[in-house]
Amino acid sequence: MSADASLASEGAPSPGLLRQAQHGVDELDRREAYRQSREAAARARAFAEADAEALDGLVSVRPRQTVPRPQPVWDDAEVLVHEPVGERYRRLVVASSTIAHTALAGQFLMITVPPHAGDTILLPRPMAIHRRRPATADRPGTVEMIYGVVGRGTRALAAVPVGGTLQITGPLGRGFEFDSGTRSALLIGRGVGICGVMGAAEDARTTGIRTTMVLSGRSAEQLLGRADCAELGVRIIEATDDDGSSDLLTLQNSLRARFDGATPERTAPDVIMVCGAGVLARLAAELGAHWGVPVQASLEAHMACGLGYCHGCAGPVRTDPSVEGPLVCADGPVFDARIPVV
Amino acid sequence: MVAVRADTASPDARAASPDARAAFPDARAAFPDARAVFFAAAPAYRTTANALPVEAAMPGTPAVDLSVRIGSLTLRTPVMPASGCFGPELGALIPVTELGATVTKTVFGSARGGNPVHRLTEIPAGMVNSVGIPSHGPAGYLASLHPRYAALDVPTIISVGGHRPSEYAPVVAALGENGAAFELNVSCPNLDRDGTDIGSDPAAIREVVAAVRLVTVKPIIVKLPVLVASIADCARAAEEAGADAVCVANSIPAMPLDALTRRPILGNVIGGLSGPSIKPIVLRLVWLASRAVQIPVIACGGVQTVDDALDYFSVGASAVQVGTASFARPFAAVEVARGLRQRCQDAGVGSIRELLELEVS
Ligand SMILES: Cc1cc2nc3c(=O)[nH]c(=O)nc-3n(C[C@H](O)[C@H](O)[C@H](O)COP(=O)(O)OP(=O)(O)OC[C@H]3O[C@@H](n4cnc5c(N)ncnc54)[C@H](O)[C@@H]3O)c2cc1C
Ligand SMILES: Cc1cc2nc3c(=O)[nH]c(=O)nc-3n(C[C@H](O)[C@H](O)[C@H](O)COP(=O)(O)O)c2cc1C
Ligand code: FES
Repeated sequence: MSADASLASEGAPSPGLLRQAQHGVDELDRREAYRQSREAAARARAFAEADAEALDGLVSVRPRQTVPRPQPVWDDAEVLVHEPVGERYRRLVVASSTIAHTALAGQFLMITVPPHAGDTILLPRPMAIHRRRPATADRPGTVEMIYGVVGRGTRALAAVPVGGTLQITGPLGRGFEFDSGTRSALLIGRGVGICGVMGAAEDARTTGIRTTMVLSGRSAEQLLGRADCAELGVRIIEATDDDGSSDLLTLQNSLRARFDGATPERTAPDVIMVCGAGVLARLAAELGAHWGVPVQASLEAHMACGLGYCHGCAGPVRTDPSVEGPLVCADGPVFDARIPVV
Repeated sequence: MVAVRADTASPDARAASPDARAAFPDARAAFPDARAVFFAAAPAYRTTANALPVEAAMPGTPAVDLSVRIGSLTLRTPVMPASGCFGPELGALIPVTELGATVTKTVFGSARGGNPVHRLTEIPAGMVNSVGIPSHGPAGYLASLHPRYAALDVPTIISVGGHRPSEYAPVVAALGENGAAFELNVSCPNLDRDGTDIGSDPAAIREVVAAVRLVTVKPIIVKLPVLVASIADCARAAEEAGADAVCVANSIPAMPLDALTRRPILGNVIGGLSGPSIKPIVLRLVWLASRAVQIPVIACGGVQTVDDALDYFSVGASAVQVGTASFARPFAAVEVARGLRQRCQDAGVGSIRELLELEVS
């Protein structure tokens, strides 16, 4: 053993000790990771249960549509923008003049996810159309989506490069509709659900409806939709978990206070449109009942076809066991939300 | 890039010619899209819509005849959708007349509501569904759905289900003269036999087919389940009782759990696995069934491409059904049909049999 080596061994822990220490650290890491995964599981379960409970008896199919629904197409759409938005989301802008031209507020697309790193994704993934930008003389029409990477499909989707193509089918479903004579609207979105209602803000802008949007999310840094609201002239109310302002009761109280009718500016909205969680749909329905205004809520369901023939996307509407309830893709995703009379 | 262009060289959406829109059935279309291009790329024979194949063959090459007979019914091409994976909604999205037939979702005798949510999911092994086959009964089907199928201008094969062997024939009788053939979905729990699949019991299959044979002269296809003791016995039972074809097979019973919560994902807890991963399992069954019976065997399980179809043909299938693949690529079945024709043309042969003889020699 050289002098250097013996010196070193006096000052530093032996490889064996190091291994042991590392083992201890790994063990702590693993325990922490395990604890976190169990917490996440408990959260997922609690969220699903709260959602189901909130939606129980709440929604019904909207009355017959006045505007004819556009014929869906499928298209090979060039990816023009695909970039991170904050830590949790990705923005995807694709070129499809047909869909940008025909899509109605609150409609969605089915995105066929190309194979990625040896993983083949079988089912297309439903995504709300966040923004529609019709074609101009020098550029094709585009649709914008914002999505969270949550599982295999969205992970593979995130790998699609700008310049590549994505096969998309749409526009699909029954969206948000303003009754004629609507002067003001309250839109409520949480997380990526903000994208579900943004189309209504676009329509409101075109028809001159005064619009306020609640942007709800975990933290102020992660809120989507600020720039869109600024562009569309929508007043913003931020509600986040980190300062407690998104808490259901707090939010409900602050909205009631905000629209208490004290001044013309504070008159209750003519309609409420909501997307993001069952509990928010119920909150909106409670506000709607309080103000005596209709509420439209956009829901999610696991989907395969998006067109109404696979019957995979049953909506949370209880029916006689021999009658099939509405389908989220064809009868929704936007439903009427009304507090059930007990 | 989506790997969808392997079989037919359709041009890029952006290269769409103005006349692509001519084939686009929707008058409101203001812009060319990939769907319109796909419609426009139909082989020349499409102009003779209902006739049997008389496509313009290149001089010196044999005309390609892909037609297949199922009893008294002749299909122009041996490709059709799988039950539950097609609906008249697709009529505007794909050129349905390029398929051999359409197949409806299973119609039951009485109205059924379907299963609780979630009704489907995707796991690495494939798609799992427990839709539960909502149905309006034969009267509801005839009133609301059948006219839309009939308008598609290809033979409609009506899928029929039952909870006991005695329930099938009345449904077929109630459907009367509608539809070109019946596909009996016997992958249903038999309530007379503690829930064992009707289709896993040759005696029950015999009973179902014999009863249906008495009420219709139209072709009968028996769609068998995967989990059976002997697919040969089941196929033979169908043949002996008077079936004109067997379809092999339905989805495979499976149970997906949520990775995080370890709870069942599906509201019904169990469902049917489908998609490319079931193909080797079904391929074996098709091979065994084809050796057991003289009637045509229609293969169903994981067909995505023309090569998947040719694999099934090479082990004895006479036709294929395309299910799960249509969700991501609504045009998948049409692409397989076009691809079969193209392969024959490229090889300079007139039929799939000749093509396969060439390939294995
Ligand atoms: C009408 C509609 C609009 C949507 N809009 C958006 C949007 O704008 N932005 C966004 O981030 N997400 C949106 N979603 C949710 C999005 O579809 C899911 O996050 C996505 O399908 C998850 O796929 P995955 O493979 O990454 O997850 P996995 O959990 O691996 O997926 C497994 C299976 O479950 C399905 N699934 C899982 N979670 C959902 C869910 N929440 N909704 C529907 N199916 C689900 C998947 O499609 C897949 O079939 C929308 C859903 C619907 C129905
Ligand atoms: C959503 C869905 C619904 C189905 N519904 C039916 C049905 O109503 N009747 C039936 O016989 N098979 C039904 N099937 C089974 C398919 O017809 C087919 O046998 C199976 O999916 C395997 O083929 P694939 O791998 O090509 O999908 C259904 C499959 C799926 C995925
Ligand atoms: S997703 Fe197929 S019916 Fe709704």
